[in-house]
Amino acid sequence: MTRRVAIVGYAQSNHQYDMPLPREDMVFEVVKGALEDAGITKKEVDTVVSASTDFLDGRTISGVFYGMAAGAYLKDESKAEEDGTLALYYAFMRILTDIYDVALVEAHTQGSCINPHQVSFYMLDPLFDRQFNVLNDIATAALQARMYMSKYDVAEEDIAMVAVKNLANAASNPHAHRRMLDVTPEEVLNSKLYYEPIRELTMSPISDGACALVLASEERAREFTDSPVWILGAGSCQDSYLRDRNLHRLESLEKAAQRAYEMAGIKDPVSELEVLEVSEKFAHEEMMIYEALGLCREGKGRVLIEDGITSKYGELPVNPSGGALGADPVCATGLIRVIEAAKQINGEANGYQMPHACRALAHGQFGLCAQKNVVFVLGGE
Amino acid sequence: MPRPVAIIGCGQTKHLSRRRDVSQPELIAEAAWKAMEDANVTPDEVDAVVVGNMQGFGGVAQPDLWIGDWIGAPGKPVMRVTTGGTTGGTVAQAGYYHVASGLHNVVLAVAWEKHSDSKESGATTGLGHVGFGAQVNLFRCGMGLKGFIATSGVGMAAGVAVYQAMYYMHRSGCGIEHFDMVAAKSRRNAAKNKYAHLQWPNCTPEDIAKTEMVAYPFRYGHVCPASDGAAALVFADGNTARKRVRTPAWVKGLASITDEENQLISESGGGVGIIDSSEQMGARVAAQKAYKMAGIRDPQKEIDVAELYQPFPNQELLFAEKLGLFDEGKAWLALEKGETDIDGRLPCDPSGGVMSTNAIGAAAMLRILECALQVMGKAEEHQVPKKVNIAVAHGWGGSTNYNTVTVLGSSPD
Amino acid sequence: MPYIKEERPETLSVEGEWAYGAHVYKANTLLDEFCEGLREKKLIGALCMGCGKVIVPPRAICGRCHIRMEGRQVVSDRGTVVSYIVSPPMVKGKYKMLGMDPVELGIVKEGESLVPGHVRFDGSDSPYNLPILNARPEEVRVGMRVKVVWKEDLEGKLSDIEGVEPIRD
Repeated sequence: MTRRVAIVGYAQSNHQYDMPLPREDMVFEVVKGALEDAGITKKEVDTVVSASTDFLDGRTISGVFYGMAAGAYLKDESKAEEDGTLALYYAFMRILTDIYDVALVEAHTQGSCINPHQVSFYMLDPLFDRQFNVLNDIATAALQARMYMSKYDVAEEDIAMVAVKNLANAASNPHAHRRMLDVTPEEVLNSKLYYEPIRELTMSPISDGACALVLASEERAREFTDSPVWILGAGSCQDSYLRDRNLHRLESLEKAAQRAYEMAGIKDPVSELEVLEVSEKFAHEEMMIYEALGLCREGKGRVLIEDGITSKYGELPVNPSGGALGADPVCATGLIRVIEAAKQINGEANGYQMPHACRALAHGQFGLCAQKNVVFVLGGE
Repeated sequence: MPRPVAIIGCGQTKHLSRRRDVSQPELIAEAAWKAMEDANVTPDEVDAVVVGNMQGFGGVAQPDLWIGDWIGAPGKPVMRVTTGGTTGGTVAQAGYYHVASGLHNVVLAVAWEKHSDSKESGATTGLGHVGFGAQVNLFRCGMGLKGFIATSGVGMAAGVAVYQAMYYMHRSGCGIEHFDMVAAKSRRNAAKNKYAHLQWPNCTPEDIAKTEMVAYPFRYGHVCPASDGAAALVFADGNTARKRVRTPAWVKGLASITDEENQLISESGGGVGIIDSSEQMGARVAAQKAYKMAGIRDPQKEIDVAELYQPFPNQELLFAEKLGLFDEGKAWLALEKGETDIDGRLPCDPSGGVMSTNAIGAAAMLRILECALQVMGKAEEHQVPKKVNIAVAHGWGGSTNYNTVTVLGSSPD
Repeated sequence: MPYIKEERPETLSVEGEWAYGAHVYKANTLLDEFCEGLREKKLIGALCMGCGKVIVPPRAICGRCHIRMEGRQVVSDRGTVVSYIVSPPMVKGKYKMLGMDPVELGIVKEGESLVPGHVRFDGSDSPYNLPILNARPEEVRVGMRVKVVWKEDLEGKLSDIEGVEPIRD
């Protein structure tokens, strides 16, 4: 890396179903919040990168209608689609070029406006998969879960344990959407069945939400704050299309993590990371993510859950904020993970602060069965 | 300063109104593989991929997930960028930033549009939805169908460009005959470009003037087609670029500026604060920023060729002024003198431009691609008959509020 | 194998749907405020306390200043045409707009042209798209002074403004 880049401010909305705010106002609030958190005004911002998809926003070129709310007036602005972490990756690169010093990243989705699972149907190959009219992201995730379960001898109870951990964690996060402190594995296993073995509580909820963060180069970051959160490593990768990949492994996440670890100089993630925030849109994915991130051997993700290693009080807490099972405003989810990781490093996670969090990992995903993955390694001073 | 970045490979498909011989991924692969071959790189050597189109036109949500396999994307970072008409421009610029950041060395940027996949015309499925949410709210507040047709029905796809033309005519004093001249010039140039869609050798302004009026001041001859097509560029860092090709086109300056949205309605149906849609302050800011980065002091003298985004003829004149190629309100005088012809003092759109080939997602990238060809001297029949040192490419889109400007040069410094 | 093919035989096509319609759009209530004003023949705009711009109909956020547009300002119902376009003379059955025939709907008479314009009302800083009524297309020009043609019985709807007509005195 030619220069160091830091996160200096962030804000997120209170994620919920059917937020009583139009998209423009929602974006305005979080952008304003992030700028205030960084202690700067729109004037200091050099470039803006946003993330959302036209389909989820319900109009073509949706970017034009929230550009002003995002503070992009006569600024160098662009829109990386899909997950907010991709927008962050783009903004990160923009600062690395030396052309810009301060960037604003924004991501949002109002899931209550259009069912995101319905949209996922249109991501399928129109020549073949779409013709059958049976698949969507839940159905493909169910295929993935079944494959993973039979290959590594994982039971539905194990998946339920992931949901219990994250939903209970979400209870202490005021921004989360689905907060269930006393949820039991039985409750999870008795919740509504969508596609065997995916149930209501083992998949992410449909949320409305937005988040924004401010990035700055080293020199500017020192001006704005005493506690910048550095981006130590970043990696992004896309897998083959649904039919051409090993569904029981997240190979693209492995590659993305490798790149991020290499950049951050991490050799052993288990001992060098203190907390992780990952986007598990379905509970079984969290175990697959453990494996892809190198926290355990292939097929052993279950053990980390069973032994409580990744619980709030374990050795390597994962998703103390509740993760995507706690709130999932589709395009914002990944960026919220980055913000939660930064909060842990800054010691600002009231109620779910992990002790001694110096290095954290944040992960964002997009596509059917987590086809596209982005990993960020963050660190404090 | 960022490290030097160059375009080392260009690929585009033949553009037609219906490319029924290929599927969407095959169309994209046609351009992408050609670009990689042109750049002398193998798919394995490509570090990252940037793609973009307007998904509303092709009927697939996030098509990068599906088409990635056709262009060698699996196992690589893939970013999708969409900004309407400027999509190609912003995709190419994202490709630049990938390399300039130092994170990646060779990056493939692909942009495309396949209008014919949509049963209705692209204007209905794609453009019609640009302001859909706001329109719905206007209807809720009792706008009425009659009122809607009486205001927004006229001109339809040409929409805001027709008003823009009127603003421009009023301000600059040019006439409808100058629009005929621009359109005829584009069609003539396109005839020399084997990839272009609407080709009309020896087209004269009189031919265009014979076509029927769509909405005053536009005739049918002034309106761009809807094409199927794709464009691809390979970006590389300085060292790789020098090793792989003899004459890379160096990226010297770039900017993509967002102005206030300008389709008279904002997110919830309120008004917008831009009165004159031909003002295009974003283009002016983008140009000055890009020129500053490229070290251009006097664009009128230093720029050798320009590729402007002109789906409608007024825009070639308008944006030539905003990009500082001519004085404000004087572009049509230069047009009369033939200065913007392919062999003129400052050729504008020697490829035929968007007027002749309009695959929306790809159109703005094609501008950069054509500039790269001019710099590399590979534009074949439509190569301008002079040495090209600096070329400027422009993209325009969104709700008339996005502008991208990219300056290419024959040397890195 | 060359990537650019010379011959292009048509391939198989399959049909699929693409539903954009199932979307719930959330909007702010500023348009309702504007419509209430129309009941009293008032055009209410939003005033930005940062740059002083007045936008009609009101919008929520001023992008230039990045603040909420808190102020309200009533603007004149007289204004200036800043741009306009002219449709070809409408003939029944020849032109369809959104699948509808404007002549059949009674929006224009046979052989007449539609002339929509951008009108800047005095005191506002935004254009408003309205049909220009009671004027021959050739006499419409940029800079022409116009006033609102109000509907006879006002209902507090956007359609209370039928269009604008030239001020003749």
